[in-house]
Amino acid sequence: MSVLKPFSKLPNLDTASILLVENEEQVQQGLAEALVEDSAQAVNVRLARSLPLPLENEKTRPRIDLVVFILNLTSDKSFKSANESLKYLDPGYFLGKVCFMVTNARYASGNMGRLDAVRKMAASLHCPLLFAEVQSPEGVTNAARRLLTILKVASGLVPNTSSLYLSNLTRCTKPPDIDQPSFD
Amino acid sequence: MAKLVSLSDSDLSASSEESVSSRIHRSLRLAEQEKRKNEAEKPFVLALKYFSEVEVGTPVVGNDEFENHLAQVEKVAFSKGLSPEAVSVMLEFAMSLRMGSSPCARVLKCLIPDSVVPQEAVFRAVVWLSVGKIPISTQVLFIKWVLTVFDMIDAKDKLRAIYGFIFSFITDENLVCDSNAFKLLGKAGRQPYLLHLLSLYKVFCPELVTLSIPSRMRSGFKNHISPWKSALMALQKRGSLQVASSISLNFTLKNKTGSRKRRHRHLELPELSRVTNTGVNTEQTSSRKLVPLVQIQSFEQLLKNMHQIELPAQMGSLLGSRLALQYLDCVQDESALLRLNFWLGYALHEEFLFCTDGGAGQNAEEALQFLNKLLSAQQFLQEGFHSSDAFLYKFLNIWDGSLLRPQILGLLSNIPVIPSSRECQNEKLSCGLIECLNNMLLKWLTWHSVYALEDDLDISLHSHTSINITLSGFKDSVMDLVCFVGRLASVGLQLEGCHSLLLSFVLDFYETVCDTFLKFGLPLVVMPPPGVFYPAMFATDPVSLDRLAYIMNRYKMNLTSAKSQEKVTSHAFHISRQTYQEFNNYLAFMVNCLWNSSMRCPETDIQLSEELLAKSGVPQPWMRFDLIHHPAFMMYAVEFHQKCWPGRKDMDLNSIKQAKPWSWYLEFLFTQGFGGLKDFFQNNISRPGQELDSAQSKKQPLVS
Repeated sequence: MSVLKPFSKLPNLDTASILLVENEEQVQQGLAEALVEDSAQAVNVRLARSLPLPLENEKTRPRIDLVVFILNLTSDKSFKSANESLKYLDPGYFLGKVCFMVTNARYASGNMGRLDAVRKMAASLHCPLLFAEVQSPEGVTNAARRLLTILKVASGLVPNTSSLYLSNLTRCTKPPDIDQPSFD
Repeated sequence: MAKLVSLSDSDLSASSEESVSSRIHRSLRLAEQEKRKNEAEKPFVLALKYFSEVEVGTPVVGNDEFENHLAQVEKVAFSKGLSPEAVSVMLEFAMSLRMGSSPCARVLKCLIPDSVVPQEAVFRAVVWLSVGKIPISTQVLFIKWVLTVFDMIDAKDKLRAIYGFIFSFITDENLVCDSNAFKLLGKAGRQPYLLHLLSLYKVFCPELVTLSIPSRMRSGFKNHISPWKSALMALQKRGSLQVASSISLNFTLKNKTGSRKRRHRHLELPELSRVTNTGVNTEQTSSRKLVPLVQIQSFEQLLKNMHQIELPAQMGSLLGSRLALQYLDCVQDESALLRLNFWLGYALHEEFLFCTDGGAGQNAEEALQFLNKLLSAQQFLQEGFHSSDAFLYKFLNIWDGSLLRPQILGLLSNIPVIPSSRECQNEKLSCGLIECLNNMLLKWLTWHSVYALEDDLDISLHSHTSINITLSGFKDSVMDLVCFVGRLASVGLQLEGCHSLLLSFVLDFYETVCDTFLKFGLPLVVMPPPGVFYPAMFATDPVSLDRLAYIMNRYKMNLTSAKSQEKVTSHAFHISRQTYQEFNNYLAFMVNCLWNSSMRCPETDIQLSEELLAKSGVPQPWMRFDLIHHPAFMMYAVEFHQKCWPGRKDMDLNSIKQAKPWSWYLEFLFTQGFGGLKDFFQNNISRPGQELDSAQSKKQPLVS
């Protein structure tokens, strides 16, 4: 089965699993290390360039609690690849178990069109849109911490809350015009 | 012709004196040198005379006289520089197009001032710019020249008045429309300085420039200004440049900083410095005497000279000086604010938005200091700058939630009221964020109580803008903010396990919210969501509960006062039935829980069934949250019990509920500093402490 499903497997005890999807494979590794290092709970990090995931690892793969698409804003291919991958996710994932992480946003802010496209995509899928400063180690650690906050909720490790409830607040909304305040 | 004659003259005199003796020869030689010098200047004077008097329509092609005079001017310009009068004459000649447009560019290129540039000349040239049919490339050349010599213009009072005109000239004539801009770009060949100018404009008013401009563009004007700049520097080396060192220092500094370090210079606040250091000229050209800001040392001096302050050459320097900020605050000078905002907006954009090299970490310290200076300036002025607001709207979109967080949150809390609902997507639930939002709300409310007009219809949004917002629009904005923070706080408390520090910041926020009517005069009452109320109610620390009691008490006072006003005046604001109901439910629950030892809460959305409570195995669950058994107060109850009955071995906390000990216990609690609880009970329980049976105490919820 090529479509990834959120509830097709049983979870492992006290373990959260996260899938990082990045076409360029630049940030993935560092972020994965930071995720494992920073968490008190056991975190299972899986890496992929794009979806669908290969069939041969299907058996050994744990239940994925959170799918993170890492988008490099300086590259067009990054966005295209993520966009292509989305259709291999079960709709159940879009109830708070997918988020987009944009890198290099400050280095490509001359190109507002690309950022707009990403924002539109995240807003239409009701997913949170995070930004990360991956040029510095502090930035990577911080990005990992933010992902962990979402991951813990998505994997059911935080009592009394669910990923759907959290995503109600954190999901990206598309303001009418991001460049200018509307009274200007 | 004139030059030819003078040359033959000097040749003649030199040949006739060859046979004279050495002593006489020497004195004569000195005299002759003097004479030569005078005569060398003579053709220059003649040339200037020619250019000031030449007839309109004189042909250029084949005109030797013109050619010789211009060569003479060029020679003087590049060797000694041109005097202010010469600059005036030549600029007037070039811009008036008396001999057509062809010599115009050549004249502009040799306009190297030796001391200052008269403001009058530039002013006239701008007038010609709009009258004449000067080719676009020459117009651009002129603007570049003005930019280069800008610091050498002797006074800028008149020029400042036409800034807007110059800017609108550039935008309207050439750069606004896509088609025109492309035409211009086609002619000028997409030259970097033009793109740079466009990029400046994109920063200033992005809606006017629809072109996409490559962000990798650092050395905009550099190469193209250099002919003048190198000439000016050469003059300065020879010591013939009379302008003070501050300008030349600027040039050398700029040359020193390579392209890699270039961006860093935005982060250093420039020194307060005068426009030019040649004070004499300033006094001559302007009608009144101006006092440069740098000379002002004390507040008294500032007050004395308030009407005749000369702004510094670089507006960024204002941020670093308290007196300058005081001046800005008192005078509300539109053009000064415009210049400052432009500088600030550009610096912020360059440094934090258009990063090209990967040096995010290396200038962190500088960035920190820069933003702290900006913050302290804003705190001093008690309001934000437009440009920093506009920058934030962009920056927040791509912020990672941690980079320079304290500074960004500080700037954020200075944002003025935003009419439409705009949620900053941000899931970093931290105390800092709630504090920032509380500050923001406080500033909005303070601003409202200061600027709102009596008829409460139109409010000027910013003390120095003309943007207005209606009262209902303002209320909607505040409502949006409060509701947003309510949601944020609910989720945050849940995620952080009702962390008491976070709870404290959330209660800070609601201390502001509950007093919007009485303290700030804004007719709006918003109750906290259950996600905030119940965590505070069941908090394990007595301080949170005490603050909740204080907040509920303030809510009651606000609501009663609003209600009494509603009865008296017809156009008082209306509080919805739902708000009263929410308040009554919360109040009833609090009184029942703390005072009556019952968990009954009428008509609330949260209902616990008796069976479920029984399943928990807790004996008498309805008593667990009264003033004695509440986890926050148990410690006090035990202490009181020990003090009250020192001899008793077996502790029975329920014995406190008897009449006398109960009133003593309340007294004891109130002496522990729980002022919020004291007020709450005095206002909500009839005859506190006198009712022996607590079940008989009456609660007085408001009726809507």
